[in-house]
Amino acid sequence: MIRALPIVSFCFLVLGGVYLAGSLELPMGSAARPGAGLFPFLVGIALVALSSPLFIRSLRLKEPQEERTEPFPSGGDRHRVMAVGATLCFFVVFLKPLGYMICSFVLMGATLRLLGLRSWAKIVLTSIFTAAISYYLFFSILGVPLPPGIFSF
Amino acid sequence: MIVNMDALQGLALGFGVAFSGPNLLACFLGVLVGTIVGVLPGIGPIGAMALLIPSTFALGPTTALIMLAGIYYGSMYGGSTTTILVNVPGEAASVVTAIDGYQMARKGRAGAALAVSAVGSFVAGTLGIVALMFFAPLLAELALEFGPPEYFALTLMGLILLSRLGGGSAVKSFLMVGLGLLLGTVGMEPISGLPRFTLGQLELGQGVELVPVAMGLYGIGEVLMIAERITGISQMIKVKFRELFPTVAEWKRAFPPMLRGGGVGFFIGLIPGPAAILSTFASYALEKKISKHPEEFGKGAIEGVAGPESANNSATAGAMVPLLALGVPFAPATAMLLGALIIHGVQPGPLLMTQQPEIFWGVVASMYIGNVVLLILNLPLVGVFASILRLPQHLLMGLILLLCLVGTYSVNNSFLDLYILIGMGGVGYFLRKLKFDMAPLILALVLGPMLEKTLRQSLFMMRGDVWAICVRPIAGTLLLIALLSIVLPPVIHLIKRK
Repeated sequence: MIRALPIVSFCFLVLGGVYLAGSLELPMGSAARPGAGLFPFLVGIALVALSSPLFIRSLRLKEPQEERTEPFPSGGDRHRVMAVGATLCFFVVFLKPLGYMICSFVLMGATLRLLGLRSWAKIVLTSIFTAAISYYLFFSILGVPLPPGIFSF
Repeated sequence: MIVNMDALQGLALGFGVAFSGPNLLACFLGVLVGTIVGVLPGIGPIGAMALLIPSTFALGPTTALIMLAGIYYGSMYGGSTTTILVNVPGEAASVVTAIDGYQMARKGRAGAALAVSAVGSFVAGTLGIVALMFFAPLLAELALEFGPPEYFALTLMGLILLSRLGGGSAVKSFLMVGLGLLLGTVGMEPISGLPRFTLGQLELGQGVELVPVAMGLYGIGEVLMIAERITGISQMIKVKFRELFPTVAEWKRAFPPMLRGGGVGFFIGLIPGPAAILSTFASYALEKKISKHPEEFGKGAIEGVAGPESANNSATAGAMVPLLALGVPFAPATAMLLGALIIHGVQPGPLLMTQQPEIFWGVVASMYIGNVVLLILNLPLVGVFASILRLPQHLLMGLILLLCLVGTYSVNNSFLDLYILIGMGGVGYFLRKLKFDMAPLILALVLGPMLEKTLRQSLFMMRGDVWAICVRPIAGTLLLIALLSIVLPPVIHLIKRK
């Protein structure tokens, strides 16, 4: 099983390192006239300094000792979380080309199904209803310029 | 003298502002949404505020703040409902109430527990606002003496104390602070206009917005956590209206804890930290310590409900003091309020009360009105709110996802913000599983730009002499507190081990 804490602390370490390197490319100024790079430089150092010991310690720790972390789901539960994540990605990627109505219909339908609603009729009806009402509320009443997508005629 | 009108004149102005149609409606909507998110486990006031910030763009800053503050203190009322009836705390600040509240419900005194909780919330909430009214101007007057070094020290101390008080690993909390500060530096640098860490994206020049980050961490992250396991809700205890009246003996036992809880809550609210949560634990411990029947605690003692439920409400009023007087939030929820004010072009600080008194006094007066509305909403309609729990989880989660997505998009009509939202949702989910606290990240994101600005101003002012910042009395004291809060816990831990 993949252990998450070493991976996450390593990500923090890499992020801190890359950020620190980026800050060095900014003007640092002097102590009396600090430049745009000083604060990110200090934050970068802090991130590296904090994540290094966490990473090293997480490697030493045996799995059950991992600082009271919650186990990641497996099997069907994991698939459900991944499917909800994928639905969100679908919404964001296809919002512009397909438009809000279709994307919100898919998002709603998928969430209802994934989180336990079994009747397809109820899923389809609720999703159509939610998509239409929310479009009317956000676009027509609140004036949010939601992309019309394929309905742009 | 900063307070050029006394508190009563200010309050009169405030009621004039708060009683205007849109502000009354905003107050009502805020406390209503607050009660609902309080009832619903999983969705907290921070997430709800993040969801609703975009909808306040069309409103003025006063109206927006009235509504968002309503969500904050309203959620404290709603949190007790599910705690008492179902033993599922709607809010972290209601966890303590579960100990005796649910036991009271099992003994058939659910109505009394709910009534004492609502009345206690009202009494302490109102007392808290009275204290806020007098404390905030005093603190603001003191803060006029603050220069950039003091603000830098105060902001740094707030960030460090909050990270340490959240519980869990200090390193993890500080890493979240670092991540928040990192995100806060993305975009156009405010002094020279130099783009930083924008990855060549023009849109990132404006910086990382608070709304997608908060919605991602709290909204999407929470839905992903819930998606892991589909759970039903346990059996709910039904309460009839006529059962909502505690007996005379119960009132007598509950009233002193309400007042004590109010006092404890307000003063804990003034200190950096998750005030509402801490105040409930402090109040419960106090009540148990001074009670004549400590053996009843844990078995349905009414003091164990009245004290903590009062404390968490007055803590919200206390937490508003540093926000409104100093412009520095000492709690994650007030950081959201600060973020909202900045989005609306208002810079909170000690001059807010004199330069924009309608905002300060309008919000204070609206809190009085909001508390009355909450009492009316929460007592007779308690059954209605509890029945929200019957709303199917799949529908609720779908609606939250949709609100997160549309709410984020509506801020700048930006697709990049949507990607940030999804990214932060994933980050929120993973880090939550690994027991990272989300609140320090939000605080650091809001306070980061202020911290950087005051640091640079301080260094400029002191000609680069860091020691000169440390020897200023107020700044030095604040920095010392920050330092001690880092150094002392491990030292105490070491001593205890020996």
